[in-house]
Amino acid sequence: MHFGATLRLLRIDSGLSLRDLARRLRVSSAYLSRVEKGLDAAPTPARLADVAKELEVPATLLMDLAQRISPLVVDYVERVPDAGSLFLEIAHRNLNAAQLAEVRAMLDERFPVARPAGLPRGAALADLLAPERIVLGLSGASMEDVLDLAAGRLAESLPGTDAVSLARLLRASEAEVSSAIGGGIAVPCGYVSGVGALAAVVVLNEALHYDTPDGQPLRAVMVLLGPRDDPGRRLVLARIAGLAARGMAEALAGAQSAEEAYRWITHQSYLPLDVR
Amino acid sequence: MPHFEFNALTLLLAQISSVLVVSRALGMITRRLGQPLVIAEVLAGIVLGPSLLGWLWPEAAVALFPAQSMPVLQMLAQVGLVLFMFLVGLEFDARLLKGHARSSVIISHTSIVVPFALGAVAGWWLYEGYAEEGVSYLSFVLFLGVAMSITAFPVLARILSERHLLGSRVGAITMACAAVDDVTAWCILAFVVAVARAQGLQQALWTTLMALVFITVMLKLMRPFLERLGERVASREGLTSALVVLVLLLLFISSTVTEMIGIHALFGAFLFGAILPKSGRLAEMLIEKLETVAVLLLLPLFFAYSGLRTEIGLLNSTQDWMVALALIGVASLGKFGGSTLAARLTGMRWREASALGILMNTRGLMELIVLNIGLDLGVISPTVFTMMVIMALVTTVATTPILALVYPDRELARDRLRDGRAAEEEAPAPVTAMVCISNSDRGVALATLAGTLLARQNAHIYALHLREPSDSPSAMLRKDTDTEDGPLGPFLRRMGKQNLDVRPLSFVSSEPAADICRTARAKRASMVLLGAHKPLLLESSLDGTVSEVIEQAPGTVGVLIDHGLERIQRVLVACAGDPGDREAVRLAARLCSAPNARLSLLYIRPPRRAADAEVPAELLELAGPEAEVKAVVHPSPATAALAESRLGYDLVVIGKHDVWGLSGGRFGLRRHMLAESPASLLVIAGAPAAADAAQEAVPQPPAAQTL
Repeated sequence: MHFGATLRLLRIDSGLSLRDLARRLRVSSAYLSRVEKGLDAAPTPARLADVAKELEVPATLLMDLAQRISPLVVDYVERVPDAGSLFLEIAHRNLNAAQLAEVRAMLDERFPVARPAGLPRGAALADLLAPERIVLGLSGASMEDVLDLAAGRLAESLPGTDAVSLARLLRASEAEVSSAIGGGIAVPCGYVSGVGALAAVVVLNEALHYDTPDGQPLRAVMVLLGPRDDPGRRLVLARIAGLAARGMAEALAGAQSAEEAYRWITHQSYLPLDVR
Repeated sequence: MPHFEFNALTLLLAQISSVLVVSRALGMITRRLGQPLVIAEVLAGIVLGPSLLGWLWPEAAVALFPAQSMPVLQMLAQVGLVLFMFLVGLEFDARLLKGHARSSVIISHTSIVVPFALGAVAGWWLYEGYAEEGVSYLSFVLFLGVAMSITAFPVLARILSERHLLGSRVGAITMACAAVDDVTAWCILAFVVAVARAQGLQQALWTTLMALVFITVMLKLMRPFLERLGERVASREGLTSALVVLVLLLLFISSTVTEMIGIHALFGAFLFGAILPKSGRLAEMLIEKLETVAVLLLLPLFFAYSGLRTEIGLLNSTQDWMVALALIGVASLGKFGGSTLAARLTGMRWREASALGILMNTRGLMELIVLNIGLDLGVISPTVFTMMVIMALVTTVATTPILALVYPDRELARDRLRDGRAAEEEAPAPVTAMVCISNSDRGVALATLAGTLLARQNAHIYALHLREPSDSPSAMLRKDTDTEDGPLGPFLRRMGKQNLDVRPLSFVSSEPAADICRTARAKRASMVLLGAHKPLLLESSLDGTVSEVIEQAPGTVGVLIDHGLERIQRVLVACAGDPGDREAVRLAARLCSAPNARLSLLYIRPPRRAADAEVPAELLELAGPEAEVKAVVHPSPATAALAESRLGYDLVVIGKHDVWGLSGGRFGLRRHMLAESPASLLVIAGAPAAADAAQEAVPQPPAAQTL
């Protein structure tokens, strides 16, 4: 996951220009641009808190994205030393993505996560998604095909819209700025007023070569649709970025059915990433 | 006047400043008159030179441009010219010739040969009175010939873009001609310079030989190197300052070598620019970097320099002015006449041809460059130089107003419309078709069908393969079975042989019919082709998919029941007097548009309607004049069609209709027809709108748009 690219998408989503945000943060727009391009280190926690305030997302979420190891993990290991040794064991065994997915499946089965009480409706990706809007195993596709496919699914859930104009909308915003946030994930956003927020997910079978900020090929595309100014969607976007850093692409590629992928996303998006 | 003390540097700076000020001031006037800036710059030189300033206020002229400062100015101007000629070479792009190569080569060569010949005649006529002593007859004649055949590519490009002519046919051909002209004229000039400089025939031959070696080295060794350099710029690095220095270094080496060989330094600069690759962004970025200094700063110095050498006072007799006038006439006659005639002969209309001639007659600053070379070499005298400068000015100034007269904007708009319409007809809006492939063994048959149907069309074809969720193994395994060797493999390979643009698309779907329709809608496919297996239809396990697609898909749906379809040469289209027949006949006719394919139309009437008229004229028209037409009376159209289909057809096409055995909304043909027909069967279901009974009233859109 690329922090800068995620920050840029969040900024664009909130309708702020580079210069606007830089002025509000009292930094130079050149510095902000470097951060967005990943040429400069992520801002300090104090500054991140300012950024979070401007973008209307929880500060802890941004800090989680900006750091390689989530502060949640650090906290937890400090509180429960036993957990630290479990992490160590996983590290010693050098588990790969598929094996980790197995461990995760076991965890999900034994200790299912409930929807956290404080999570507002519409703030989790799972709230916007349904198994019918998950396409698995797409191959031979270009970004346009992906958007067309997602538009077809979204149009069915939105009476009164048609796939062609939705696809045109998504293509246009994608042409303006690449929505890839690294970690093999892209989050194209389309703005349609008068409808509730909605998402579709397309999982690619063969990685798509696309302009991604970290050079990793694209593995999954989450299309978000909704009204222009919606802090809830930015929350979803930031959470997707968090998931991208936690092996979302691999997990989705391993899913056997749309229901399975949906289950994974539900579990993950209920994890209280931003509650400390 | 107050007395200024100038040292060499302050003098030079003052000279540059005054040149810039005067040329910009004149530029404001010429722009208002609709003339290119070049005119102002040339005039600025003349104004500051002996022709005006030196005549009105000799003291100022001497103070500002003393004779001893001339070499400095000249050197700066020469460096500017080297850079400028490099830029001119950079503008030369072989891709300009694309599509006009034949006509532009003919026109431009004619437009060189004719004025060259006329110029040579003029040279023969002027040699007695106007050649300097010691100038060889040959070089004088050759030089006048070259000087007459120059076209100014840069000025031309500017005039064309100002008049919005660049996109038109005339504009494109003129640009191509001027580009060819430039190359040819500079090659000839290089040769003429070699002849003029050489002491004898032997040395001239030696110079020519060296020049050929130089050109070969540039083309064979330098160009591949530059191409690699261009790729590097295109890929990542961008144009670093080290690269700019490298290019400049190579440019100056190339110039130096040509100067030492004896064909002017400018030729080396031009050639180097011309061989630089234009496909990447290298050329563009170099132009951007160098243009400011070369065109805005150094080029005016050249104009000033040549203006300072233009002494209109030298033309002091009526005879001189008559000669200058004659030169203008000869130059225009040769260039304008030659290119207009050649353009007309290549098939342009008179108006377009003469517009091209007028444009080609623009000489602009390229002529000045050539003239300065001649003056430096001593081939032409200052008098002839002045005459030719006037000629260059007049032909350039005349271009814009005469062009407006001959080719007014009204005509231009009309021609552009005509060009546009022609272009539209040539390139129909691309058809989008989607072919759904579920099993590898039908890939070949569907490819044969789609390939024949969409051949010679600018079609986008999507090959869609939907996998069932259950049969998708782990992600790693799936990777291997995709596109190349997977179910799409045979289809893609077959289509690849026919050079059709196919884009594979494959994903997991639990509701294939809905996904086919959704994808078709999102891709705006006007046609969906899919296969149906006999057993599937008979056992009606999956026919739900096919019938759902027929009901919901946005465009025409073709269902292929394959009985080993590998080639399409004999096609039978069976009609039973149903609105759906139209689409079936239309597609069948399209399938048979290949020269070796034959279409038969079978028209079946039930006995109770035996008294009906003949085969509807509409169907006959759609089937085309070469189709074989049979009309029979039979109570069961399916049986009659089956009997006919046994007669060695590759493919039977029918419209989806109940008479063929479709019933109860479920798609399925009569068992005996399906099982026994030796030919493959294509069932066409029209778009919902076309299936309406009222469709006769709707005019059929052009075939190219609906397929």
